[in-house]
This record gives sequence, C-alpha cells and structure tokens, in this order.
Amino acid sequence: MRVLLDNFSKSFGTTKVIENMTLEVGHGEMLALLGPSGCGKSTTLFAICGIHRPTGGRILFGDRDVTDLPSQARNIGVVFQSYALYPHMTVAENIGFPLKVKGMPGEDIRKEVDRISGLVHIGNLLGRRPAELSGGQQQRVALARALVRKPDVLLLDEPLANLDAKLRLEMRSEIRRIQRETGITAILVTHDQVEAMSMCDRIAIMKEGEIVQIATPAEMYNDPRTAFVAGFLGNPPITFLRGVMANGAFAIPDSEIRVPLPVSIAASEGTKLMLGVRPEHFTPAGDIAVSGKVTFAETQGRENLYDVSLDGGPLLRSIQPVRHDVNIGDAVTWAIDSKGVLVFADDGRRL
Amino acid sequence: MKSSRMLGLIMIAPAAIMILLFFLMPVVLTGVFSMTNMTTATGISGGAYQIAPHSLNDLKSTMPDIAEQMSQPRYTIDETGLKAVEGLGLDAGIATELRAKHMGEVFKTRREAERMIKGLDQGPSTTQVKQISEQFNRSVVNSRFSSRQELFTALDTLGFKLTDAQKDSIAEATYTGWNWTTENFSRIVSSPDMARVLFNTLLYVALVLVLFNTTYAMLLAIWTHYMPAAPATIFRSIWLLPRITPVVIYVLMWKWLAWDTGFISVLMGKFGYPPKNYLLDNAYNAWLFVILINGFIGASMGMLVFSSALKAIPKSQFFASEVDGASRWQQIRYIILPQMRWPILFVTCYQTLSLLASFNEILLSTRGGPGKATEVWSLAAYHTALNNYAGNLEYGLGAAMALVLVVIGIVLSLFYLRIFNYGTLVSRPLIED
Repeated sequence: MRVLLDNFSKSFGTTKVIENMTLEVGHGEMLALLGPSGCGKSTTLFAICGIHRPTGGRILFGDRDVTDLPSQARNIGVVFQSYALYPHMTVAENIGFPLKVKGMPGEDIRKEVDRISGLVHIGNLLGRRPAELSGGQQQRVALARALVRKPDVLLLDEPLANLDAKLRLEMRSEIRRIQRETGITAILVTHDQVEAMSMCDRIAIMKEGEIVQIATPAEMYNDPRTAFVAGFLGNPPITFLRGVMANGAFAIPDSEIRVPLPVSIAASEGTKLMLGVRPEHFTPAGDIAVSGKVTFAETQGRENLYDVSLDGGPLLRSIQPVRHDVNIGDAVTWAIDSKGVLVFADDGRRL
Repeated sequence: MKSSRMLGLIMIAPAAIMILLFFLMPVVLTGVFSMTNMTTATGISGGAYQIAPHSLNDLKSTMPDIAEQMSQPRYTIDETGLKAVEGLGLDAGIATELRAKHMGEVFKTRREAERMIKGLDQGPSTTQVKQISEQFNRSVVNSRFSSRQELFTALDTLGFKLTDAQKDSIAEATYTGWNWTTENFSRIVSSPDMARVLFNTLLYVALVLVLFNTTYAMLLAIWTHYMPAAPATIFRSIWLLPRITPVVIYVLMWKWLAWDTGFISVLMGKFGYPPKNYLLDNAYNAWLFVILINGFIGASMGMLVFSSALKAIPKSQFFASEVDGASRWQQIRYIILPQMRWPILFVTCYQTLSLLASFNEILLSTRGGPGKATEVWSLAAYHTALNNYAGNLEYGLGAAMALVLVVIGIVLSLFYLRIFNYGTLVSRPLIED
C-alpha cells in the first residue's frame, strides 16, 4: 500500500523537528530513512505509527487519510529497536497478541502464528519466553509479531542496531527476503548507510528535519546531490579536497595539484570548490598523478586502505587490492581518476 | 581471609545487639508473660498468702468443711490474749488461772470458750466473760502471711490439722501473686469473645487490603500513569497526604467530619435528619469509617510501589501494544497487570503484616466500638494488657494474645517468603573472602 506524507510537520513544544516534509513510498516498496541522530527520521516513523500526532500536514495510507487515527486503527506493523517483546508472554503469545486483541478465535490465531513463524524460521521456539532467546531470535519474533496481522505498512526502527556484526549481516538479508515474499510496503529507519543501501529499493536521506535526496542506492552513491549525501554514503567514506577554479581546472592553492573539470561545470575563475574523491578513485591506475606520504594503513583482508597526506596538507583515501610494498611513512605517487570525481560548490551543493 | 570475616562480624555487632535488645527481648518477655496469670491484682513481683473471702469461696468446692471452719473465728488461749486480759484491769487471778490451766487450748466456737471462762475458779461476771473471750478471738479471715510457712503455722496454732494435699490447695487458693499457667491459651481458644475479635481482625485486614491497599492503589497508579505528568504528580501528592499527616490529627479530622456537630451532621441536617455521631452510630458505620480511615492511608504505599513498577515497564512495550491494536483496557489487562505480579505480592505481604499489627487508627477513632464491634486482635491485646475500663489489666492474657499475633505474623512471613522465592532474590555476594 502506498504511503504518502503530505506537507507533514512535527514539533515538540517550540522545537520544530520536521517542517513541511513530503514523502511518498510506493506500493510494495522498501524505503530507508537514513540520517544521523537527531535528523528526525524516528520522529517521522513514529508519526506514521500514530504514536506521535503530526502538528501539520496529512498522512495517507493508500487513499485513506490516517492523520487523526490512533495507532490501533492504522493496521501497521512495527519492529522497534529494542524489539519491545512482552517479557511475560511466550513467543507464540507475543506473535499472536495483535490477533488476540482483535478478538480472533484461538484456533485461528494458532494457525496464523504457525504460518508466520515458519516464514521467519522460528517455528521451534514458540514455547519459549523472550528472555530465553538470542538477540537474532528476538528480532525474528518482533518481525513475526509485526507481520502477523498482515499490516498495510511495515515500519522498522533501527531493527539491527542491537545485533552483533555477523547477525546483522544475516538479518539484513532475512528482512529483505521476508519483505519481498510478503510484498509489503516497508519503511526502514537507520543511521547505517550500509543497511540502507543493501536492504532498500530507495533511500531518503535526511538532515536536520529535511529530506536532502531520495534515490535508489546506486543513484545516490554515484550521483549525490550534496556533499553531505556523498559523505554519508560509502564505506570507507569519501574524502574532500578544498580548492579553487583556475583555468577550467580544480586547483589547490600552494600546490601542484590540478584536476581538469568537465566543461559542464560552470564556475567563474577563483570560485571556491570542493572535490570529492572516493577511495576507489584514488589508486595507481588513475590519470592525474598526485604525490604524498602514507600516514595510515589498514588491511581489510581482501583490500587495503591507505590514508595519504598530500604535499599541501590535505588528505586522500585509497582502497586497493592487498599489497605488501607500501608501509606507513612511504612516499607514494598515485593518481586520481578524473571521471570519478564529484565537484561541489563551497556550500556543499553538487555542481 | 579470617580478618575479613571478623570485620564483618564486628560491623554487624551493633545491629545484632539492637535486634537482641529491641526485638528479641520483647518477644521473649512476651513469651514469658504469656505463660503466667499476671494481672494488676497479682502484680509482677511475688505475692503473699491471704485468706480472703474469695479464696475461701474457691476452697468451698474442694474442702467445704475446712473452708467453713476457716471462715469462723476460733478462740485460742495464747500469750497475746493473756497479756490483753491482764491489760483489762480485771482481777489478776483470772489471767493467772487461764495461763496455768488452759494455755494453748483451742475452742471452735465462742460459746465453748465462754463456757470455759465462766467455769473458772475466779468466776468472772457475764460482762467480763464477753470481754475476756474477745481477747482470744483469732480469725484467719483477711489475715496476710508473707510465706507458706507462716500461713501453715498460723493454721496449726488455730488447731487445723491438715494433710499436705490440703495445705497445697489452701496455699494455692490464698496466694495473691502470679503463677505459671497455660490457662491463657486455653482461654483464647475457647472464648467466644476471642472468636469474634479474630473474625473482626480477618474482616478488617481483608477489606482494607483488597479494597484499598491493592485494588484502589492499582487504580491510582494506572490513572496517574495515563495522566500528563503535572496533574499526575499533584494527584499522587494528594493521596500521600493521609500517610504523611500525623495519625492523631488525621483521625481527628475524620472525627470532625463524623461527629454530631460535624460536617456530615450539618449536611444531613439540611435534609431534615437529626444530628448524630455517624462514626459510632452503629456497627456498620463504624466499620465503614474504620476501613476508609485505614484504606486512605494504605492506598498511597501501593500507589507508589505500583507507579514505580509501571515506570519500569519500557515505554516501547506500550507503543508496541498500541500499534498491535490493543485498546487501553487491553493494554492494562494484558501488558500492565501480568507484569505487576511481584509488586502486588509484595504490597499484599507487607500490608497484611502491618494491618495485623496496627490498631492506632482504630483506637483513636472508634476505640473498638460501638460495643466491641470494631475491636481487632491487636487492639484487644492492648485493651486486655495495657488499658481498659475495668482497670484490672491482664498482662498474662494480653501477652498471650500478642504472642499469638507474633506467631501468625511469623507464619505468614515464612509463607510469603516462600511465594517470593526469597532464596533466588538474594544473590551470592560478589566479593569473595
């Protein structure tokens, strides 16, 4: 079911958290609300749940206006960061709770619980209590409870934040699989760009209560609208060089470094610019040679990550297949791939 | 290792001494008193032997003849009497003759004694005979002896020839001090008054506990939980007032409300009802007030315990149950109440024990009245042992009643600790020695 936030605003007392936000999530789509802490992503999610009432605008599920409906009347499933399982109920009772409060007969509840627990692979845990489950199992129970009533929308509030790294990888693909199998519209709130990119059809990246860009993960990675988006996506993160426009090229004052810019970039001579260089675009294979000293080296098994301090002082990051000939302190001359660079105006706007 | 163990003992010593002095000792003394028949009449130190009319009454059932004889005066010719006769200023020969011929004789009746005196050689006149016989009148009734031996000597002198068994029963009947006895407990078990008091106690504890200390306290906690913070705080503070007001003033305010020139009387007067003391008007009213007075005090504790337990339930569970579709009632029924099991148990245990032991509110309001309608066990023990209208305080019986209460309390505590699974609540110390 389509979800539409139409000019949605939310403030707490005099603190305005969200102002006039419009966001549409398509039917069966999984969308990530991505942003740093305090950007308003959880507030948005809670407003969609009905836990927070909007101070302005409308919320629509399909064509139904749910703005003034309480949570109970919205038919949504929510997975909370802490899972919020009921400690005094067994797994089966937890999952069946949304059906029980609806007044469904016990026999039907049992059938539905069996069906959904099969889907999330916890059929063998139904008799246990939440305290007897591992984090990943609790996560699955929370997911099953959110899905059992066949909600119109599934909302996930940092669902993986409390899991250890390996489980996080596993649950990432599990949640995506379950969302695909059920075809449910889902909204994922996260501050982790890897989660957002790997799980979702589209990402809405938020900053200070506003959506900066909505796009598919690949689009957003390759074509970020601002330096903030470019900086938020990608691991290891992008590095920025500060410089000016000089003779159609990007130049760092007091240094030899010149990066020719495409003609489409219209900036007058002397304009301050930022050049974003992702680590995979600064390797021995590029076309604009740059010299510097390795100040940090980290092996990640398959790849190595290097920080290179350039002559003028700025830092570039490079990721390359594992090699053993470069150590901290070595002088290197690697090259920037001019086709991969992202050019931003001084205020962060992409040019 | 050893020194740390010693240190622990030393540090706990003051508390241990306090417990011994102020808790264990009173309990032991109560136990000791409960096995005696101490009253105001017997005193708490030893007693004397006094052949009082009531002791003769007691003796009548077992040895009617001796009791009858003891109640009558006897005439014994003894040195004391002779000296008195000499002092009468009669013919000196009379005393001399009596001393020579009749010393140590005992006459069972006045007539026998006077016949003997008339028969004296000196031949005293009839008036003199009466005067003389009076000097030898030796009644044991109302005389006091500080020991058994004195009592028996006196009886012996008066010519009572008694067996050892008879002596024992007389000593027992005439002893004014206290005795060791288990009679208190049999009295408690068999007395219909005690059964009534026990019933009152159960009624009092059950009603206050169920209506106010748990149910109403839970309602308050849930109401305030769903209220905005500021009114909730005000509401809670109001319900704390009965608890923090000094109990005498608090009960006095209830009395102002209820007595015949009080608020209720004035209000009902507007509708034409004559003023009366609503508190003590009848047993039902007295019970209503007793339960309200105690309930309003007791509700606040449950409210605080339940409120904090409610706060301990993560907010996300409330959010989750709301999005799961639970109405507020379902939220209370399925999310809140099941997680309140331990606080409810705790409040139940604690308040049962404190209600069993508390009687000050009842004492200050109804004094157990009207009649003995609101007399509960602890108040009855107080009235028996420490303060009653008749003035004969039965320390022994009162102590026995208190002991019964202590035993009930200990049994209940053990029972509750078992429910609480106390052993698992107390974890092993983290620091090993």
